[in-house]
Amino acid sequence: MKSHSTWGVSKNPVKFRMPTAENLVPIRLDIEIDGQRFRDAFTWNPSDPDSEVVVFAKRTVRDLKLPPAFVTQIAQSIQSQLGDFRSYEGQDMYTGEKIIPIKVDLRVNHTLIKDQFLWDLNNFESDPEEFARTFCKDLGIDDPEVGPAIAFAIREQLYEIAIQNVSSARESRISKKGRRGFEHSLPSKAGGTGLDLMKLYGFRSSVIRKRKEWDVYEPIVDKLSKEEVGILEAKEERNA
Amino acid sequence: MENSQDPNFKELYTIPSHSSWFSWDDIHQVEQNSLKEFFDASSITRTPKIYKEYRDFIICKYREDPSRRLTFSEVRKSLVGDLSLIHKVFLFLESWNLINFNAPKRDDDDDYVGGEDRWNVRVEEGAPYGVKVVANPNSLKPVLPPPVAVNGTGNGVLASPLASFKDRYAELAKVKKLVCGNCKGSCDSGCYEYIKDRSFVICLECFKSENFGENKAAGDFEFNNCSRSNGNMGSAWSEAETLLLLESVLKYGDDWEVVAQHVQTKSKLDCISKLIQLPFGELMFGAGNGKPRLWDASDSISSIKQVKLDSSEVSDASNDLKNENEQNGNVEDVTPPQKRIRTGRVPDASNSLMKQVSRLSMMVGPHITSSASEAAVAALCYENLCPREIFEVNDDGSHKLGSSENEIQRASPVKDSDMEERHATDIPDASSMNIIPAALRMRAATATALGAAAAHAKLLADQEDRVIEYQVAKIIEMQAKKLQRKMRCIEDLELIMKKEDVQMKELVESLLSKRMNVLKMIFSAGISRWGDRATVTAHAPSVP
Repeated sequence: MKSHSTWGVSKNPVKFRMPTAENLVPIRLDIEIDGQRFRDAFTWNPSDPDSEVVVFAKRTVRDLKLPPAFVTQIAQSIQSQLGDFRSYEGQDMYTGEKIIPIKVDLRVNHTLIKDQFLWDLNNFESDPEEFARTFCKDLGIDDPEVGPAIAFAIREQLYEIAIQNVSSARESRISKKGRRGFEHSLPSKAGGTGLDLMKLYGFRSSVIRKRKEWDVYEPIVDKLSKEEVGILEAKEERNA
Repeated sequence: MENSQDPNFKELYTIPSHSSWFSWDDIHQVEQNSLKEFFDASSITRTPKIYKEYRDFIICKYREDPSRRLTFSEVRKSLVGDLSLIHKVFLFLESWNLINFNAPKRDDDDDYVGGEDRWNVRVEEGAPYGVKVVANPNSLKPVLPPPVAVNGTGNGVLASPLASFKDRYAELAKVKKLVCGNCKGSCDSGCYEYIKDRSFVICLECFKSENFGENKAAGDFEFNNCSRSNGNMGSAWSEAETLLLLESVLKYGDDWEVVAQHVQTKSKLDCISKLIQLPFGELMFGAGNGKPRLWDASDSISSIKQVKLDSSEVSDASNDLKNENEQNGNVEDVTPPQKRIRTGRVPDASNSLMKQVSRLSMMVGPHITSSASEAAVAALCYENLCPREIFEVNDDGSHKLGSSENEIQRASPVKDSDMEERHATDIPDASSMNIIPAALRMRAATATALGAAAAHAKLLADQEDRVIEYQVAKIIEMQAKKLQRKMRCIEDLELIMKKEDVQMKELVESLLSKRMNVLKMIFSAGISRWGDRATVTAHAPSVP
């Protein structure tokens, strides 16, 4: 066995991190002060010094000409989300052999994107940003905001599952105390959302999808008119 | 995947020569090195089998329409598996041009550094000329691009399938200038050629001052008058001159001295080469001269191939030919360069060959013929790198010889005997370099014919296959029908049996009822039963 594989080995736990090539944390901001609302989503490198957070908040407020009250709010929000992430760091993450379906259902400005694909949690070479770039290029999306939004959506889902895996690792550790011996099957059972790999990759099945399933996994991109965007936004407002 | 492996389904696709390792049935080391994760048995989701499925699918998908650019988003919806992994396979195949080779470039391609540069690099790699037929990967070696390729015809369109050697290398031959190996000056007036390596040349001054270079002695050099060779070689022929030439050839046969005198404006060499260049030049040779010298028709081709360097045999073969090695005066003890008589092919051999080719190409489809000839020319280009070198060198060295005895052919010491034999018919004629295109054309034609024949054979075989398949299918169908009929018969029989069974039962019943009736009638008639009657009769005598 190679010791330095970029692939997570299912039997050995990995220290918690984003299951991607770059360990970037998805951060989502949604702050409302005095009727003014600021929403944003981006990724943050958790190894950056925390002083950067305040600098970033200040610059954002200045660039967007927001009231100064936003600075602390933004900084706090980022800090707390980073804190969440760091609380998992150092813990073992049992991913098992897990390939999860990722669903993207987004609206960025005038573009509506629906997509579904599989993602291997053990592939620490994966790169959502690279994928998003290819996606936009292949489908001819010009809006520069779409790519980052797709990458962010993927990261958010990966992050969520990574957290689940830590807690499932915790559970398995507890249950391990009760028994003797270690059961490899435990972490993969605990995962829940993973696909049945034997079914997908068994000797009998082919990795070529059945034709009728192609539509399900096909990316769908819609260009919306201004009126449609307006209607959608109003709907979202109401739901919120 | 099934389709691609079906032999009836094979089509020809071009892939760059640097991807020649690719094979449908195998996974190459290159693939194993680039995509290690599939081959380290770390997961059931990454096995060589799965890799092969990914690869085959993506390539097949691309080949459904090679003219459009296949995108990752198009592929991934049909493949089960980790997105990043599939993307990696996709990029790998794209980087080796196994997909999107003929596809138009994407203009917004910022991933690849410098789109235009990359394109140029591809031309230098010789990809267009190195294209090969996938169906038969081992038949061709990667081909080095001929120099014409560099100046930008670019996109892999061969000038013409049967472009002759002359057409391709004419510029090169003209451009070639001799440069002194010592003083780096150009040797316009004349030079000394190093006989062991013909590319090494020194100028007159260096030779006189005994400046030979390392490990070389005066004896290794041989004089070479380049001024003549580069003289009026390229000068164009006017129509009047050509007419004059033809006239004098008809008159004097191949007595070139006289012909040249008659033409006046051209040298003997020019006359010969022009005549050969003419479309019917070879015919003129065959018909026009009563005393064939250069084209010794009596020599069969096989004997040509076996001509040895044995000088006695050489002189024997043709008396007109003089094996005369004119040496420069002060280098007497030079080992003479190996020489041999070369007899060209009988001219009409090529004609029949051409006929063969055309006949063969009639039989198969035009695209097959064209690809066959393309492959043939590509192979020839590769092969003829060696002859070309010889040609270039001899070009200079031989004119001196040509001036006195142009019939003498010189084969340079070719490296191995195999090569020698293969190129026996190709080794350039010292004096008339235009035989090269003729021979080449002939070889190209031969190769084309063979290729076309092979393609035709393949087609026939395929057809045969199909016929057999069809027959087998038919047989099976017939058998099935037979079985069906039998089944029907059996069913019918069963029905009949059932009917009969029912009838039998009815009969039995009716018999029973009849019997009952009879019995009833007997009872009602008061007749006792047989047994009773028997006792009655038995008792009867006792009753008085």
